Amino acid sequence: MSSINLTLKIWRQPNSDALGNLETYSLDGIHTDMSFLEMLDVLNEKLTKESKNPVVFDHDCREGICGMCGAVIDGVAHGPEKEITLCQLHMRNFSDGDTIVIEPFRSRAFPVKKDLLVDRSAFDRIIQAGGYVSVNTGGTPDGNTIPISQVKAEYAMDAAACIGCGACVASCPNGAAMLFTSAKVSQLALLPQGHAERKQRATAMVTTMDEEGFGNCTNAKECEAVCPKGISIRNIARLNREYLSAVLLKDD
Amino acid sequence: MELNSRVPSGPLAEKWKNHQFSNKLVNPANRRKYSAIVVGTGLAGASAAATLAEQGYQVKSFCISDSPRRAHSIAAQGGINAAKNYQNDGDSVHRLFYDTIKGGDFRSREANVYRLAEVSNQIIDQCVAQGVPFAREYGGTLANRSFGGAQVSRTFYARGQTGQQLLLGAYSALSRQIHEGKVEMYTRREMMDVVIADGKARGITTRNIMTGEIESFSADVVILATGGYGNVYFLSTNAMASNVTSAWRAHKRGAGFANPSFVQIHPTCIPVHGDYQSKLTLMSESLRNDGRVWVPKKNGDTRNPADIPEEERDYYLENKYPSFGNLVPRDVASRNAKEQCDQGKGVGNTGLAVYLDFAEAIKRDGKDTIMKKYGNLFQMYEKITDSNPMEEPMMIYPAVHYTMGGLWVDYDLMSTIPGLFAIGECNFSDHGANRLGASALMQGLADGYFVIATSIAHYLGTNKLDTISHHDEAFLSSRREVEDRIAKLLKNSAGGPAGKFTVDEIHKELGHLMWDNCGMARNKADLEKALEELPKIKQKFWDYVYIPGEGKELNQSLERAGRLADFLEFADIMIRDALAREESCGCHLREESQTEENEAKRDDKNYSHVSVWEHLGEDNEPALHKEELAFEFVTPSQRSYK
Amino acid sequence: MWLVRFLMSSIGKKLVMATTGLLLVLFLFTHAAGNATIFMSSDVFQSYADELHSHPLIVIIFSLSILLIVFAHIGVGLFLFYENRQVAKSRYAVSTRVVKNSFASETMPYTGLVILAFLFVHIFGFTFSSEDVNISVTVKELLSNFFYALFYIVAFLALAIHLSHGFWSMLQTFGISHPRYDILLARLTIAVPVFFFVIFGGVAFYFMTGLGSSF
Repeated sequence: MSSINLTLKIWRQPNSDALGNLETYSLDGIHTDMSFLEMLDVLNEKLTKESKNPVVFDHDCREGICGMCGAVIDGVAHGPEKEITLCQLHMRNFSDGDTIVIEPFRSRAFPVKKDLLVDRSAFDRIIQAGGYVSVNTGGTPDGNTIPISQVKAEYAMDAAACIGCGACVASCPNGAAMLFTSAKVSQLALLPQGHAERKQRATAMVTTMDEEGFGNCTNAKECEAVCPKGISIRNIARLNREYLSAVLLKDD
Repeated sequence: MELNSRVPSGPLAEKWKNHQFSNKLVNPANRRKYSAIVVGTGLAGASAAATLAEQGYQVKSFCISDSPRRAHSIAAQGGINAAKNYQNDGDSVHRLFYDTIKGGDFRSREANVYRLAEVSNQIIDQCVAQGVPFAREYGGTLANRSFGGAQVSRTFYARGQTGQQLLLGAYSALSRQIHEGKVEMYTRREMMDVVIADGKARGITTRNIMTGEIESFSADVVILATGGYGNVYFLSTNAMASNVTSAWRAHKRGAGFANPSFVQIHPTCIPVHGDYQSKLTLMSESLRNDGRVWVPKKNGDTRNPADIPEEERDYYLENKYPSFGNLVPRDVASRNAKEQCDQGKGVGNTGLAVYLDFAEAIKRDGKDTIMKKYGNLFQMYEKITDSNPMEEPMMIYPAVHYTMGGLWVDYDLMSTIPGLFAIGECNFSDHGANRLGASALMQGLADGYFVIATSIAHYLGTNKLDTISHHDEAFLSSRREVEDRIAKLLKNSAGGPAGKFTVDEIHKELGHLMWDNCGMARNKADLEKALEELPKIKQKFWDYVYIPGEGKELNQSLERAGRLADFLEFADIMIRDALAREESCGCHLREESQTEENEAKRDDKNYSHVSVWEHLGEDNEPALHKEELAFEFVTPSQRSYK
Repeated sequence: MWLVRFLMSSIGKKLVMATTGLLLVLFLFTHAAGNATIFMSSDVFQSYADELHSHPLIVIIFSLSILLIVFAHIGVGLFLFYENRQVAKSRYAVSTRVVKNSFASETMPYTGLVILAFLFVHIFGFTFSSEDVNISVTVKELLSNFFYALFYIVAFLALAIHLSHGFWSMLQTFGISHPRYDILLARLTIAVPVFFFVIFGGVAFYFMTGLGSSF
C-alpha cells in the first residue's frame, strides 16, 4: 500500500438556481487502497474540520449495484476503469501528483441539485410509463408454465442488469437515454411475459423519454463504453425495431 | 406491554388458510376510502405498496433515496428459496419450514415460519409473471442452486444479482401503480417519527432531504419496511443510508423491539484494510464450496502464504468439523475465524483475516473450471484488493450482514402500536437467532405481496377510525419534537469545528465498542463494560459533534448525525438484550454458555422466548418482556455439524 | 396524427435519416454503375447517358424524388444537429470520448455539409451543363482540371467518412443487429464506403492524372 498526493477540481454548486464553478482542493496522503468515494469521504472530513461545507454526492451501497453514485471523472462517467461504478473505482488507478476533475452527471433531463448530486427522477418516469408487465399480485400461473429458452433468459438478464445510474446519459454527446430505455424494453421484449404489452410499452416509454428532455441517439456508442454493467447497444437496435413495429402495426 | 401473538389455532398447515378466512375484509368499493403509508421501498415495502394499491387502497410510499429502485435489497446476491420441489429431491413446504426454524436455532415462531414456507411458491410464480429473468435450464424450466443449511436444491437465482432483479420486479409493480395514480411516491424523505392519535398509528413525520422541510403525512395505517440496523457497527455490508431511525422512533412511541442483539455476521467478507474504510464487501458464500480456509500454525507468521509449507498450515474448519468442513453454517464459520485471529494467527496487515485458498481446487479442476465458477467474484476481489485469488489465497474476515432482530410483531405483522405494521428485515418475525442464506428475499416478498394486505383489511375491518388531518395536535407536536431535536443536534456547531468531532469519528467509536463487546462472541464482563462506555460516547456526541451547514437545506452531515443519534440510543437495548440472554443460540454466542467443544449451547429451559424491550422514557431503564415460544410441531434439537 | 407524432419523436427522426440515407446509398449504387462505364470508353459512357436522357419523364420523376430525399436528409439532419448542440453546449469542463475511432460519428454534420457543397458544384457542372456538348466531353474537360478533380476526391473522401459511420448507424436505427451478422455488417460498413470512394474517386483520379487523356 502506498499513498499519493492529489489535486482535485470539483464542481461546487450550492443549489439548482445558483451558478456553479470548479473549486480546487489539494489532498495529501491518500492510500491507494481507498475507493474513490472513500477518498471523497476523507476530503469531506477535512473540509468539515476546516469549517467548510462538505461536497455533496449521492452514494449508497458502495458495491456497484444500487446505481446511486456516479460522477464524471476527467471527462469519463464513473472514471477510467471499464464496467464499474464510481464506488468501485480505486485510487490505485491514479498516480502521485495527478489532478482529477470531478463533475456531476450532466444532461438537460438531469438538473444539478447541489455539487455532484443530480436529479435523475426522469428515469423513474420513463419506467412508470410502461417498464413493467401489468400483472396484479396473486393468481399467476406456476413459474414453469412457460418455458423460456436459456439463451433468451440470458439476453434478458444482460439487459435487466441495468442499475439506472445515468452514466449513459451523462456520457452521450447528446444526453440521450436510449441505452437505459432500451434495456428495459429489451428485457420485456425478450421474455414472453412482456409480449402482450410490447407495442404499448415501446411507444409510451419512448414518448416519455422524449418529453423528459433527453437528446437524440446518434449511435456514438459512448453509452455502451461507460456502462458499468456492460449493457450492449444491441438493445438500442432492438428498441428501434420495437418502436418501428409498434408505430406501424399497433392494433388500435 | 401486552404481547399477544394472535397465532391462529388449528393444525400447522391449516393456520394460514383459517386465518385468511376468519380475518375481516374490506369490500373493493370501500378500499379507496382508506389510506396506507408505506415507509421504505425495498422488497417488502415496494411489494406491499404495489399490492395494496392494486387492491384499491390509497397508498403513500416513502423512500430515502432518489428513487425507490435503490433500496438495499438490491445488493442481495445469492438467491431466493421456495419449496417448489422442481428438482424432485424431496423438498416440501414442511421441509422448508423445518430447515428455516432449525437454521434459526429454534428461536422463531412456528406459525409465522410455516406461513413463510407456504407462500414461498407463490412468490416465484409472481416474480416470473412480472418478467424477472430467473436462470433457466436448457429445456426452459427454472434452474435451482443449493445453499447453506439445506440438503435440497431450492434456491432460485438470477446470476449473482437476484436481489436486484426481484427488487426491480417489485419496483416495476410499484411504478405501474404510481402511473395509475394509486400510489403517491415521495422520494428523498427520511421518516423522523410515527404519529400516534387515540392510541393508534395515524401518520408519520418526515424530513425532506432536499429542502430540510419537516412534513407530516396522515393515513389509516402505517407500514414500516425500513430494513435492518447493521450500521450500528459503522462497518457492515449494509448500504450507507441503512439505519435504525424509523424503527427506533416507533419503539420510542411504544412499539416493542424484539431480540435486538440477534445480528448475523457473514463469514466471507473482504477484511478491513484501513481507518478510512466506509463499508465492507461481501463475497458470496458459494466460495466455500471450493476454497479451503486456513491460518498458519505459528502465531504471528508473516511469511508469504506460498512460503508456508503444508504441514505448517492449520485448516481449522476441516480439522474441527470433519463432516461439514469448510461448509459449516455462517455463524460457526465466523466464530472460528475470530477465534483464530484472537489467538494471534490472523494474517494480513491487520492480523484480522484468514486465508481462503483455491490452490487445491485449481489443481484438481483446472484453472478454467474455477474461473467459470467464480470468475466474477475473483474479479470483484481483485478490483478491491489488487490481489489475484488464482495466484495467492484470498483473505477473508467476517462482517456484520443482517439483523434478525427488529420490531416485535404479531401473526398479522402488527407491532404493539395498533395500526403500525412492520415487514421485511424491519420486523423480527421469521429467522429466529440466525437466518439461512436466500431466506431474506423470501421473507421480504412474502410479507409484502402475500401477508400484509390480509392484515390491513382485518385491522380496518375491526377498528373504527376517526377522520384525521395532519394539522391535528398530534402531528404538530410530533413536528415540533423533530424540529427541536434537529436544533439540538446543530446547537454546538455554531462555534466552529475547533475541539469537536465529526459525525463519522463518533460513529466509528460506537462501531468499535459494539464490535469488540457485542459482536461475534459476547461475555458478561465485556457487555457490562460496553453498557458503561456507551453513555460516555453518547454524551460526547451531544456535547461535541460538529455538523456543518444548516437544517433547512440538503445537509448530508446532518442526516448522518440524526441516524447516529438513534444508533447511540438503540445500542443500549442491543447490549442489554445480549446481556439478558445468558445462553448461546444461533448468531448469539455467550462465551459462558458453550459445549465442551466450544460450540454454542442453547438453554431451552430458560430462554425459549422472544425478548421484547419496552421504552419507558429517556431517564428510565427499558423493560424486558418475554413472548414464550411454544413448539408444538417440531422438537428443538442441538445443532451439530461435526 | 400518429404519423406526425412518430416523425417528430427522437427515434422517428432517426428513422427519417436512416430511410433517406438508405435511398441515397441505393441511388449512389446506380450512379456508380453508370459512372463505371467511363472506364470502358467514351462511347459506352455517352450511349449510357443518351439512353438515360431518352426517357425524360423518368429522369424528371427520379431527379425530383432524389431532390426531395436529399432535402429531407439534410433538413432533418441539420435539425438534429441543432437540437444536439443545444444539449451539448458547454456541458463539461473536461470532456473525453471513450470510444476509439469516434471521428466519423463526431463529424457527421460536417462531412454531410462537404457533400452538400460538392452536390452544388456537381449539379452546376454536369446537370446544367450546355446541352450542345456531349456529356463525355464535359466530364473529361472538367475533371482534367487538377483542382476541380482534387475537390471531387476530397468530397468523395468526406462521403466515405460519412458512410463509415452512417451505413452502420442506418442499420442500427432500422434495428438490424444480431450476433450472427455482426462481422458481416462491420465489414460492409468498411466495404461500402471504400467501394464508392474507389469508383467515384477513381473517375476523378483517371482524368486528373491524365490516365484518361485518350478518353
